[in-house]
Amino acid sequence: MRMREALLSGVVALVAGPALAQSGGGVINVATIGEPPTLDPMVSTADLVGIVTQHFFETLFTFDKDWKVTPLLAASMPEITDGGKVYTIKLRQGVTFHDGSDMTSEDVVASLKRWMEQASRGKQVAGNVDKVEAVDPTTVRITLKTPYAPLLALLAFNNSAAVIMPSEKMDVPMKEPVGTGPYKLKERKPDQYIQLVRNDAYKPLDGEGNGYGGARKPILDEIRFVPVPDPNTRVEGAISGQFDYVDSLPVESYDRIKNLETSKPVILKPFGWPVFVMNTKQGVMANVDARMAVRMALSMEDMLAAAFGNPEFYALDGAMYPKGYVWHTEAGVEGRYNVADPDKAKALLKKANYDNGPLRILTSRQYEFHYKMAQVAAEYLKQAGFKVDLQVVDWATLTQRRGDPALWDIYITHSPFLPEPALIGQLSESSPGWWSTPARKKAVDAFNTESDLSKRPALWAEVQKVIYDETPSIKIGDFNALSAQSPKLEGVVPAPWPYFWNVSIKK
Amino acid sequence: MFVVVTIVFIIVRIAPGDPAAVMLGPDATPQDVAALRTRLGLDQPLVVQYAIFFGQLLRGDLGESIFLNRPVLSALADRAEPTFFLTLFSILIAGMIAIPVGILSAYWRGSLFDQVSTTLAMLAASVPSFWLGLLLIQFFAVRLGIFPVSGYGGPGAGLGTRLMHLVLPALSLGVVSSALILRFTRASMLDVLNDDYVRTARSKGMGEMRVVMKHAFKNALIPVLTVIGLTAALLISGAVVTETVFGLPGVGSLVVSAVLRRDYPVIQGALLIVAALYVLINFLIDMLYLLVDPRVRY
Repeated sequence: MRMREALLSGVVALVAGPALAQSGGGVINVATIGEPPTLDPMVSTADLVGIVTQHFFETLFTFDKDWKVTPLLAASMPEITDGGKVYTIKLRQGVTFHDGSDMTSEDVVASLKRWMEQASRGKQVAGNVDKVEAVDPTTVRITLKTPYAPLLALLAFNNSAAVIMPSEKMDVPMKEPVGTGPYKLKERKPDQYIQLVRNDAYKPLDGEGNGYGGARKPILDEIRFVPVPDPNTRVEGAISGQFDYVDSLPVESYDRIKNLETSKPVILKPFGWPVFVMNTKQGVMANVDARMAVRMALSMEDMLAAAFGNPEFYALDGAMYPKGYVWHTEAGVEGRYNVADPDKAKALLKKANYDNGPLRILTSRQYEFHYKMAQVAAEYLKQAGFKVDLQVVDWATLTQRRGDPALWDIYITHSPFLPEPALIGQLSESSPGWWSTPARKKAVDAFNTESDLSKRPALWAEVQKVIYDETPSIKIGDFNALSAQSPKLEGVVPAPWPYFWNVSIKK
Repeated sequence: MFVVVTIVFIIVRIAPGDPAAVMLGPDATPQDVAALRTRLGLDQPLVVQYAIFFGQLLRGDLGESIFLNRPVLSALADRAEPTFFLTLFSILIAGMIAIPVGILSAYWRGSLFDQVSTTLAMLAASVPSFWLGLLLIQFFAVRLGIFPVSGYGGPGAGLGTRLMHLVLPALSLGVVSSALILRFTRASMLDVLNDDYVRTARSKGMGEMRVVMKHAFKNALIPVLTVIGLTAALLISGAVVTETVFGLPGVGSLVVSAVLRRDYPVIQGALLIVAALYVLINFLIDMLYLLVDPRVRY
């Protein structure tokens, strides 16, 4: 009897070998910077919302490791016809939602309509969309009024995301997060944890993972996102080994975690770029020479050193995208980045007829590196003759004040390197900063309407050149992000929005 | 309470910041923010918003959280447990340190023990609780691995696990709070130890322990109870910084995240409940006076 059982279990193990290897199981605790403001990825552009919700919601497309758009819920890349105005998208078959229902073109159409009504990036698209329709149960067609090249990147992005939900779950605000992802939401206790469990019905794409694309294998049993708002506590949590992954650590903690047995550093290089956004609509910065004076006055090197300390975590780089991205170009940069020349700045200020009015710089200590950069910048700007009024407020106040052009001249923010330049907020005329000039329109429109991928990098170079000519914003440099992971975790890929499918625990 | 309600409403609304902008994230357009403000009713005149808020309040409804999508009262009820236990344990730790040491310091006034304990009390009063919290985390959680660094336990965590998460924050708050209680205990004991009835008790041949505990300490209790009550009231209103450092999902962290997100209904509701609790605790302390001092009559 025992022999027979042993033989049987051997046969079962042989037959089910790959499946068992994949169902490695285990629970991981992920320390995040706080509690996401919502679990509806359409309505928020906050990174934390994308990090959590990408595990249970999916989009039609996503990005591979080279930041190229790749299908996810779509069966293939769309067929683009009529001069770039009609996108016909075939859907994957056999995809089910967490409630057990099948995903059909009706769900996709309803979701895209909700996205265009509720999501800020969806609204950006909506103006160009003539109609979204279901051709048959597995095909969706988007017809544009004019060609709009960023469409696929917007459909692929996990931030203000075009996620696909069941057509009967379109409530606003969202009542129940039901997606198609490799994990599903089990329980959320605000400020305590968000518990995701494996979606056993999930069918990953064939092959291996490839960035956010390719196969998304739900190997872990559970992922728990635990908010740990205090950065020092996150560091101690990484050192003690309480968390399996700790997001967003202060770079000063690198030396403390680099040689541990409990955690090892995860460096995302490069992660993003800090930026000074100018109010081009009203006040001192409405004058292009005054904006150029700010550019000429600043030492990016000193600002980055003050903000990030360890040179391993920043790089001087005036290009809007660093080397390695298809969008990298040096157009317009030469002689206009990291100049730190107060005399040139003074001459430009004179040309601008600067009346010694206050230059109001809006910053927040919620991002300490913003504040440190602001302090250094203020000194350089004073040397150049600006009367600086540094206004330090909390982030909520900053996001409110920047909406009113009467209240500020420069505000400081940052962004990860977005896969598609058209997603950069400051390029939009309605974004605080309100950059709206004929040169901007000509360059940005040419870039946005060109659907030939091979021609777009050259058009982006034109946009970058105009950014340097008109200085609606100033990129300070590149910076890297530091996180930590348990050495037991396998399959973690450094990513701006960390994900935990394809991740397993070493036995 | 009407005054509290009105002041809270006004303070919350005149503070800069916009919940709609926070919810929509950094890349939202002003048009999106305006649309969400309309949906949340934040575009209404302040008087209208106040009338709605007050009307809800009269029906016992503190409103619905903008970010949590649930009633404020239920969000607060969820946060009550960690805050209650944190307050209880902190007060117990503070009392266990402060009362015996305070009594002995007064009894041995001017001795080395008195000098050391009052110096330590001064140090404890000067130490920010978050700094002490981080030190405790480094020693007990990171180095010794006895207690967790932060949080309040994962899904299905039992009461024992949850309480383990409270040890370090309670110790941190207890030590800091003990300083004030110790100084009050010592000062109050010094007052009564020289009183005639203590001398009389000694002259009747009573043991020192009985003299100190029964005759002196009992009469020194009223100011000590007052300061314990005030400390408890402060802690129950949310040990804001400590809860943030230790990642505890208590009333304090709820208030902090509500303030950062400008979740008006939560801020208003939490402050109202806290004000009511403050009054309640002071009332209970007043009742305790009746028990410890028969001369007190209301």
